[in-house]
Amino acid sequence: MTKLDDILLEIWPRVKRKHLFPELPDPVGAEGEERVGLDIKGKRISISREFVAEMSQAIEQGDVVEGLLDHAISHYLCCPWDFSTHLKLYAEAKEILRDKEMAQRATDYFMDVVADTHCVSQKETPLPQIYRNFKGGIVDEAIHALYQRIWGIDLGATGHEDISRKLSRLPYLDRTRWRESMRRFAKVIKALFEIEEKQGGSGEPSPMGDHGLEQYSPQEIEQGLKELALDAATPSEFRDIVRDFEDEILEASQSRDQGMGLGPGRSLDADLLYYMKLAENYLLPIRRMPTEKSGSLYPHQHIPWEVGKPYQDIDPWTSFGKIMPGITQTWRRREGEIFGREEGIPDCIVIIDSSGSMTDPRQRLSYAVLGAACACDAYLRNEAEVAVYNFSDARSGGQKVLPYSRYRKQIYRTICHYFGGGTRLLVENIEALQTEKAPDIFLITDMQITNLEVLVEYFNTCKNRVTAVHIGDNKHVETFRHSVAMRKNIEIYGVAKKEDIPRIVLGKVQDYLYKKVGP
Amino acid sequence: MRNPFLDFRSLPYEKKEIPLDRIVRAKQEIMDSILEGYLHLVEEEVKDLVWLVEHSHVVRTYSAAVNRIRELHYDQDDIEEFCAELDSAKKIPYMISGPAGIYLSALINHAPEDRIVLRPKDFDRTFHFMGYRLPESKTLILQGNVGDFVGAGLSGGSLVVEGSVGNWCGAGMMNGEILVTGYAGQKTGEWMRGGEIHVDGSIGSLGRSRFGGKIYQRGKLVIPQELDDQY
Repeated sequence: MTKLDDILLEIWPRVKRKHLFPELPDPVGAEGEERVGLDIKGKRISISREFVAEMSQAIEQGDVVEGLLDHAISHYLCCPWDFSTHLKLYAEAKEILRDKEMAQRATDYFMDVVADTHCVSQKETPLPQIYRNFKGGIVDEAIHALYQRIWGIDLGATGHEDISRKLSRLPYLDRTRWRESMRRFAKVIKALFEIEEKQGGSGEPSPMGDHGLEQYSPQEIEQGLKELALDAATPSEFRDIVRDFEDEILEASQSRDQGMGLGPGRSLDADLLYYMKLAENYLLPIRRMPTEKSGSLYPHQHIPWEVGKPYQDIDPWTSFGKIMPGITQTWRRREGEIFGREEGIPDCIVIIDSSGSMTDPRQRLSYAVLGAACACDAYLRNEAEVAVYNFSDARSGGQKVLPYSRYRKQIYRTICHYFGGGTRLLVENIEALQTEKAPDIFLITDMQITNLEVLVEYFNTCKNRVTAVHIGDNKHVETFRHSVAMRKNIEIYGVAKKEDIPRIVLGKVQDYLYKKVGP
Repeated sequence: MRNPFLDFRSLPYEKKEIPLDRIVRAKQEIMDSILEGYLHLVEEEVKDLVWLVEHSHVVRTYSAAVNRIRELHYDQDDIEEFCAELDSAKKIPYMISGPAGIYLSALINHAPEDRIVLRPKDFDRTFHFMGYRLPESKTLILQGNVGDFVGAGLSGGSLVVEGSVGNWCGAGMMNGEILVTGYAGQKTGEWMRGGEIHVDGSIGSLGRSRFGGKIYQRGKLVIPQELDDQY
């Protein structure tokens, strides 16, 4: 065992106790660089032997290791805390700096300042000693000058008065203002990046290492994307951030079987991912329905048992436990289809209108696509299959039909397809998706369908449970409501804003529970 | 039963006050005062949320703004942050560009620094009336494009715009110098009484009523020469 490992064994329990026992695996010593002390992958902290050896010329080895561990744990406990916060901070920096690499560096520096300041303000830590003895590039010098100013500890930093004064005004420890602080931090630090660029390089690496996405688990990435989708005002806002981390997100999605539902080895479609993740925030309930059917003989009515008749159909409950002609009752069986007590979720046909009157889902948040995505997500979660009929001007080819599938990406690609033309559907294409099991139908449209009467007629004859969702209100919605008012298997919902979507209950029928639906 | 949390009593936990806390608190107090001053100014001067650009109106608003900031102790960083607040409009319910620009000019004119650098290019909003009545011995450098009435009523200061300016640049200026590295809009130098305007780019049009001063375009004197017809 090398000396670093001995030091880690000795120090780690103490550092863990100091930080109130964070749930982190034991750190390891690793071969690394002289200039970078830390690397965090999947929560495991690796400490560079070379960095510790280099720094130990000026500071005690134990102090170097403790300082590095304090820094790493502060990232875990304070900033960025989670993947979603990391991405949001990055998004703010990117908006100001307009460059991926610069934005990543600015975010890293900001998170370092927050984590270190949090640690210095709350714990006894040798972190300032490390900074005092580390000579970095121009940005590091400015950050050290900032630390000197906001920690009130002499770190031997000189110069960068203007920058450190401006940076020192930001409320780093106020989590609620991090995004605003990140923007201002990026604005100020931009000048230093520009100087570095003029000097012909991207500068020295930070001694505390980069903060790549590899430090997060696939589950954290998935959760972070869900939150980011909810937070993004438009699909493009989400797209801009996610595209910068395409490789990392794809890697995370492929490391799990079901993870993001993207499937392996494909490029990332940020718009699909946006609706996928946003839909996961709205878990729509689905009413279960009797699914066990049988065509065999079923018990129909009681008749008195007579001597010589088989015993197996005797109903002991109505026979008072006796075998006696005249008292004992037996079942008369009848042939026909019956519903058993087994309940389940049927498959679903999603009918989505993507005509010109609907919002283009790639430009702005489309409630129709979000609603359809939520419905698909709900059925897929319940092990059902989904077929999609996306239509605009179906007669001139403006339609897409996806047969029953459980492949999320394919389903989302079909519902996100935007035709932007007229609005006419072909009922025969919906009919072609019908199966013996009577799948649910989920329709989402603004009801401005040229041949709405054909659809109404179809719904008036079909036995499926229909959930019809209209976007906005117009006279066609009223027409539709009146036309299907007598139908008990059709439920209508209106969506005017995002918050209306969770109100939808899929497969809800007015007269439900072991009753055969239909006329 | 033994309290399992007793073990943690021995842990050294003490929230230390670091200079950052003091800096942020002090800065916040100043910013709150600046914002309060602006909101009062808007309440007083913009009764119907309409603010007309009239000479008397501008003068009155400026005087009110100066009265509001008289007791404040702020510096260039506070002005820059106030610009950011105006830009984000998170704490400001109504940002009316005329009074906002005049209030900013009052802050600049009474700041302790003689040389102030602001970066309008970092902001999405367009700021008008920047450098209004900039006094002698003050230099204001604006990095980025600015709006209308830039350097209006300039009173001896030096205003450098590293970008373009809107209409009515240097309107009614008395003395001092305006340097514009980009282009200038319509009615540049209208009612000008003295001083110099230097524009490196094109000029939309020159003001028709002038009582003095000089306007240069790409280093060439265009006013007071009788070359108005070409604009």
